[in-house]
Amino acid sequence: MVSVTWRQLDSAAGDLRDGILSWRLSQFLAWQDIKQRYRRSTLGPIWLTLSFGIQILTMGFLSAALFGSTISKSVPYVCAGMLFWSLITQMINDGATLYVVSSRYITQIKSPLTVFLMQVIWRNAIVAAHNATIYVLIAMAFFIVPGPSFLLWLPGLALVFLCVSWMALVAAIVSARYRDIPVMIQNILMILFWLTPLMYFPEQLHQHRFIADYNPFTHIIALVREPLLGGTPSLTDWLVVLGITVFGWAGTFVFFARFRARIVYWL
Amino acid sequence: MLSLVGKDIHVEFPIYDTRARSLKYSLGLGQIAKGINRLANRKINVGGQIGMGETGRVVIKALDGVSFEINEGDRIGLLGHNGSGKTTLLRTLAGIYEPVSGEIRTVGRVFPLFDLQLGMDQDATGIENIWMRGKMLGLTERDIVDALDDIAQFTELGDFLEMPTRTYSMGMMLRLAFAISTAVTPEILVLDEMIGAGDAAFLARADARLKNFLSRTGILVLASHSMPMLRQWCNKGMLLEHGKLIAYGPLEEVVARYDGMAAS
Repeated sequence: MVSVTWRQLDSAAGDLRDGILSWRLSQFLAWQDIKQRYRRSTLGPIWLTLSFGIQILTMGFLSAALFGSTISKSVPYVCAGMLFWSLITQMINDGATLYVVSSRYITQIKSPLTVFLMQVIWRNAIVAAHNATIYVLIAMAFFIVPGPSFLLWLPGLALVFLCVSWMALVAAIVSARYRDIPVMIQNILMILFWLTPLMYFPEQLHQHRFIADYNPFTHIIALVREPLLGGTPSLTDWLVVLGITVFGWAGTFVFFARFRARIVYWL
Repeated sequence: MLSLVGKDIHVEFPIYDTRARSLKYSLGLGQIAKGINRLANRKINVGGQIGMGETGRVVIKALDGVSFEINEGDRIGLLGHNGSGKTTLLRTLAGIYEPVSGEIRTVGRVFPLFDLQLGMDQDATGIENIWMRGKMLGLTERDIVDALDDIAQFTELGDFLEMPTRTYSMGMMLRLAFAISTAVTPEILVLDEMIGAGDAAFLARADARLKNFLSRTGILVLASHSMPMLRQWCNKGMLLEHGKLIAYGPLEEVVARYDGMAAS
C-alpha cells in the first residue's frame, strides 16, 4: 500500500499548480521541440500533415476493401479515428520517455515536474492541429456536415486531454524508475491499436463486439470521433471516459504526491 | 533578508544497478559496505559512504546530517575532495534534491548555475538561443528584450547572432552562454566551479562582468578546487568530507583545515 502524507499531497498540488501556471514556458518548449525536429527541412512541420494524410488514405482504402464498407464511409471514419488515436498514443509514449529525455533539465534547474508533462501535452496538441487539416480536407471532399452534436465536441476533446494526461504522468513516473516500462507501453499500445475500432466499425466484430465494448479506448476515441462524423457519442462513452478521468486522476495524484520528490533520484 | 538554513540534512542515492543488487543478494553487501567504510575512514578521501538504506537497499549517503545557516551577504566557498558531496549539497540548496530527512529553509529565490549551455541548441541562431536560455533561466520576455543589447555588446558577436550557433567556435559559444547567464540578478546564486575558458582578452572582460554579476547577488555559494578563485570571491568556507560538514567559518581557517587534510 502506498502511504502518503499531507505534506506530500500539498507539495504535489503546488507542483501541479505551478506547472499549469507556467504554461508559457511549456508551450515555448513544445514549439522548440517541433522547430528543432524540422530545422533545415524545407517543408518543416508540414511533413507531419503529409505523412499523416498518406497514412490515412492508405488505411481508409484498405479498410474499405478488407471490411466491405464504402470509401465515403471508411475514409473519414479512419481519418477522424486515427487523428485522435495518434494523439493519445503519442502522448502516452512521450510520457514514458519524458523524465529520461528531460533529465538534464530536471537535475540542473528547479522547476515543477508537471512543466514537462505540459510540454508533452502542448507538443502533441500542436501536432494534432497540423493533422487536423487533413480531416478538414477529407470532410469537405465527402460533404460531411457535422450535426448539432458538434457542440459537444470541444468539451469531449477537453475531457480526452484530461484523461490521457494522467496516463502520460503515470507512464512518466513509472518509466523513470523502471527502464523497461517505455518499451512495454509501446507494445501494449500496439496491441490496443488492433483491439480498438479504428480501421473497422464495432459492428463488424459481430459476436465479438464485447472486445470493443470493454476496451476503454473505444469510448475515448468515440467521444471525439463521432461528433466529427455527424453522429453523437453515446451516454456510455461519456460516462466511461468521465469515470476513467476522475478515478484515474485521483489515483495518479496520490501516486505523484508519494513519488514526486524521488523522481530526480531515479534519473 | 535572504537566508538558507539547513538542519540535519540527509541525502541518499539508491543504487538500482543490477550488479549491485545481485552482489547484495549473493555476498551480503552489508559486509562489503562495512569494509569499504573502514577503508574510507582509514585513508581514502574520495566518495560518499556506501551503506544500506532503511528498506535494505544499497544507498550512497551523499549528505550525512549536514546543518548550517547562511545569511544575506555571505559568500560561501565550498571545499572538499571529489565525491565529498559538494555538488549534491549545491543541488539540495537549489531545491533539486529534496532531502530524505532533515529540513532546508530558504528565504529568497535560488538561482543554480551548473551548466552554462543548458537549453541551448546548436542548430538555432544566437538570438534564438538567447531566448531559449533566457526562458530556461526563468526570465520574462521583458527581461530578455531588455538584456538583448547588453548581451550583443558584451559578446561582440555582431552579425553572427543571426547565424546558427553550430558555426560558432567554442570560445564564441562560451561567450554567448556566459553573457546570457550573467544577465540576471540572482537573489541566491549557486555555482559549481567557475567558468574559465576563452582567450585572455575575453577573460579580462569576463572578469569585470563576473565581478558585477557576483556583487549583485545576495548570497553566493561557490564550489571550487581553485584556491585563488575562492580567495577572490568568498569570505566564508565550508568543508565537506564523506557527506559530512566538518568545518564552517572564515575562509582562511577552513582552507587551512583543508590543506591539513591533504597533507596528512
